[in-house]
Amino acid sequence: MSIVVRSRREMPIETEDDVLVVRRAVRDLAVERGFDAFASAALTTAASELTRNVWVHARRGTAVLEDIADGDRVGVRIAFRDQGPGIPDLDRALAGGFSTARSMGLGLSGSRRLVDQFQIETVVGEGTKVEILKWKGL
Amino acid sequence: MTYRRYMATLKIDDAELRSRRAFCELTDEDLALLRSLRPFAEKHTSEFVDKFYELLLSHEHTRKFFPDAGTIARVKKTQREYFLGLFDGRCDMNYVEDRLRVGTTHERIGLAPTWYLGAYRKYLDLLHTGLFAELPVKEASAAFSALERIVFFDVTLAIDTYIAANRETIGRHQAALRELSTPVIRVHDRILLLPLVGAIDSVRAQQIMDTVLLRIAEEKAKCIIIDIAGVPVVDTKVADSLVKTTAAVRLLGAQTILTGISAQVARTIVQLGVDISTMHTLARLQEGIELALDLVGKKIEEKRSASARGDAG
Amino acid sequence: MTGVIPILRMGDVLLTTVHVELRDAVAEAFQSDVLLALEKRRARGLIIDISGLDMVDTYVARILAETGRMAMLMGTKTVLVGMRPEIAATLVRMGYEMRGVHTALDLDEGLELLQKLPAG
Repeated sequence: MSIVVRSRREMPIETEDDVLVVRRAVRDLAVERGFDAFASAALTTAASELTRNVWVHARRGTAVLEDIADGDRVGVRIAFRDQGPGIPDLDRALAGGFSTARSMGLGLSGSRRLVDQFQIETVVGEGTKVEILKWKGL
Repeated sequence: MTYRRYMATLKIDDAELRSRRAFCELTDEDLALLRSLRPFAEKHTSEFVDKFYELLLSHEHTRKFFPDAGTIARVKKTQREYFLGLFDGRCDMNYVEDRLRVGTTHERIGLAPTWYLGAYRKYLDLLHTGLFAELPVKEASAAFSALERIVFFDVTLAIDTYIAANRETIGRHQAALRELSTPVIRVHDRILLLPLVGAIDSVRAQQIMDTVLLRIAEEKAKCIIIDIAGVPVVDTKVADSLVKTTAAVRLLGAQTILTGISAQVARTIVQLGVDISTMHTLARLQEGIELALDLVGKKIEEKRSASARGDAG
Repeated sequence: MTGVIPILRMGDVLLTTVHVELRDAVAEAFQSDVLLALEKRRARGLIIDISGLDMVDTYVARILAETGRMAMLMGTKTVLVGMRPEIAATLVRMGYEMRGVHTALDLDEGLELLQKLPAG
């Protein structure tokens, strides 16, 4: 795979408004790249979940949006980084989560099902990085 | 596909153009040299083009593309323009457009790349002989090098043209397949029917859900009957996809009736462990239609005959 | 934040249209407004129109489901109407099926459904 990054945009996640700003930026990018309504909704929702996670749990982080291409395929890749508390028991979180109102819930595992690639690295006490990628589709 | 669409598809802009030229080592000096050889070219065009087509007509695989004198005359004219174009001394976007136009002509008549590209060799051969016959060795060498560079530049464009045309055909086929693969039919007011036939992979499963939901919203349907009798294998993934589709349909305020469920499929669905209490499932399509009508408050009734109604005659 | 999402009364049914993004403060105020309205005068049904939402993540879905449950405890049935196809697909793919919430295509269907649902 030879991924070419056509554009890159780094966005702060530091206020509640930033969550909306990132979400809108993701949707706009998806629409611009020709994602259909379903693919766009999936990507935007996954991004919204992950941005909210950064906001709610770490209070501060970044989202890096990349407009990518691999040969003929067109896609969007987003990396969410924070230096928050990290996710203890990652396997459980990915399996469908906890159900208490304040924690991850279905957001993390749900997002994973909405995108084509999902990578997560987390260290308790240090922070979390989640990277998602979705191709435009046929 | 018109050559202009090719330009867009191949994403040939100034940067790409410069990149390809650099890779072919086609310099401005080369172009100037070629321009200076224009008189040579004009002198030999007809002869070279004739010999070029002699080769194409002598070979069984290529002969059939030039069935009559009219076709031959037309393509020879295009080829003469092409040939002279090598000596224009330019390699800009206009040049690329012209090349693409020639390429699409050959692609359109169905001449495969094997033959079309193989024919470039003949040109180089003829040019080699011609140049070395007329010019001193050192100049002939330089001229031939320049020609090789520009011919190879052209060849890469020709290959790209074929690939782009192929992709377009595949894209069209895929679009047709998609439509055929999720044929949602409106069988009655607010009742849709989707008879699924054939294998369902994860891509098709996704398309099915998307199409079903779009059609329900479009038609304001209250009910969709999905018949899976024609799906050869319903594994847990397909079953899961059907269950999810049913859930999504419910979110739109409509109901799904699954029909054509065999014993095997019933087992697969139950083993998924999902809540099926709200799912309507029936063995046969006919039952599904009757249930659908019932759900929208209608039913099928026998017409009473005239005599039973007591009409005269 | 109160009053951002208007709540109308039509006979014994409350109607509300979520037309803005549900940020924390807006969402909380929305829920309070609904409960206050129900407290002032009970309603048989609550119709939440989400046709204006082009994205519903688990947070928004939770707010809507919670509102429905709160209303139910006060004797009111909730019907969600106007969900867009791509949102239904996304929720379901995430694994969020929004059980326990009634759904209908649009306002008319929603009212019709409320008629049909058993009272209480």
